[in-house]
This record gives sequence, structure tokens and C-alpha cells, in this order.
Amino acid sequence: MALDPSMPVLVVDDYKTMIRIIHNLLKQLGFVNIDEASDGTAALNMMREKDYGLVISDWNMEPMTGYELLREVRADDRLSRTPFIMVTAESKTDNVIAAKKAGVNNYIVKPFNAATLKSKIDAIFGEPS
Amino acid sequence: MSQVGGTKAKRKPSSTRRKTARGGGDQSVTAEIMLLLNTLRELAAIRSTAEDAAARILDSAEGLLALADKEEAEKAEEAILSIMTACGFHDLVGQRVTKITETLDCVIASRLTGEKPERTKASGMRGSEIALEGPSHNSAAQDQARIDALFAEKN
Repeated sequence: MALDPSMPVLVVDDYKTMIRIIHNLLKQLGFVNIDEASDGTAALNMMREKDYGLVISDWNMEPMTGYELLREVRADDRLSRTPFIMVTAESKTDNVIAAKKAGVNNYIVKPFNAATLKSKIDAIFGEPS
Repeated sequence: MSQVGGTKAKRKPSSTRRKTARGGGDQSVTAEIMLLLNTLRELAAIRSTAEDAAARILDSAEGLLALADKEEAEKAEEAILSIMTACGFHDLVGQRVTKITETLDCVIASRLTGEKPERTKASGMRGSEIALEGPSHNSAAQDQARIDALFAEKN
């Protein structure tokens, strides 16, 4: 899987501040096609309308959490291979393992920095960090 | 000066009063005390998170100031990104405050009904059957290193 900065990226978080931060970091990394959603339900609807090359999602959202979004995505034949990064304050080992088992590609714990986001994206797309 | 709070100091701690009144509510009192201690811990964490974020914002702003006359665009960009990511404290502070609010709601409800406090919504199960804990009390770097190690493991 090659990293294509023109691919659409979907950022999902219920905090506007976090969406703004991740959006800016992605822009700095060269991504130009960035969409936003404020919870899992909205994100899933958007994913069914448009092909995203990467999803970066928070976990703790209502009504649909990031974990539930991940499970919906992995269960959907058309969406199942979409790279998915969880960016969350949840760091409990059991939860990380649950996300890994559900098929998350990488996991970033908040607070994070630009280098961490870049390294996790690079790791998914096989780019040297 | 010594009068400030003087009357209150003579009052028995509320937990003692409850224990006396019930004569057998030790478990309930202990549970309440644990909830309150956790609340204090959350407040300390809020203070620490906000302090850390403020320090990072100031460090970066000072860095920008120092670079203002120089043509070191790359370093300036790095500093600006650091300012942006530091602003993520808003999310973490919000999650911790939510936990505190829900805990206090739980304590209040318990005092009103006289029943044992139940798990707060924040630490309870969601629709996905995963118990969420919110931000941890470890450093993010420690947590990230542990998570990276988990992801490096095969299954």
C-alpha cells in the first residue's frame, strides 16, 4: 500500500479542537483531501458515500464510538480494507488489545505530537519514518 | 482570621455522621470515600495536564519569538505544530472534567437515596461492551511505548 497524499482522509472526533489539530497536522504532512465527522455514525455514512484512503478516529464518541465504527468498517466488504488509526485517550491494555483484534492498523494515545502521527501513518503505508 | 471556618471545624466529618446514623454502613462509607479520593486524583491530573500544556505553548511561543528575525522557516513550522498539538489539552481536560462531574453526580445520588454508589457512566460499559476509562495517569510517552509494543507482537 503506497502513501498517496492526494487520497481522501477522514478525521473523526467529537472535539472540534482535536479535528482542527489533526487536520492541520495532515495538511503539514502534505494531505490535501481531508474530511471531518463528529461521531461514528456520521463517519460511516460518509464512508459509504466516498472512498477514503485512511480513517483517523477517536474512540469515545456518542452515539457510535470509534470502536463500533471500526467493527462496522471491518464487517463491510467494501470498506473492510480501509486503513484505520485510533487516536484516543484510552490506553488500558485490554482496550488496546480489543481494538487490535477488531482490526485497527495503528493506535495513538493522546496527547500526541506530529512526529507520532507521521510515524504511524508511515508505518501503515510502509514508508520509512 | 481564626473564626473563618471555626464553626465548620466543630462539625463531625460527613462520613462519620453517616456511619453513626446508619450504624452499619461501613461498606457504603468506604465506597464513597474511594469515589471522593478518585475525584481528588482527577483534579490533580487536570491541574497537571493544564500546566504541562501551558508550558508547551509558552515554550513554543518563545521559540517562535526567538526565530522571528531569522529565516529558519522549518524550525518555526515545528514550533507552530507543537503549539497546535499542545492545544489538545482541551480534549483531555474535558474528558477528565466529565469523569469528575459524573462521579459527583453518583455521590450525590447515593447520598440522596442512601444506596451504595454505582459505577459512573464514564467507567461503565458502552454499547460495544468495552469499558472506557478515559485518560490514564501515566505519561503519554509511557503509554504509547507500551501500546507500540503490543502492536509489535503478532496476535
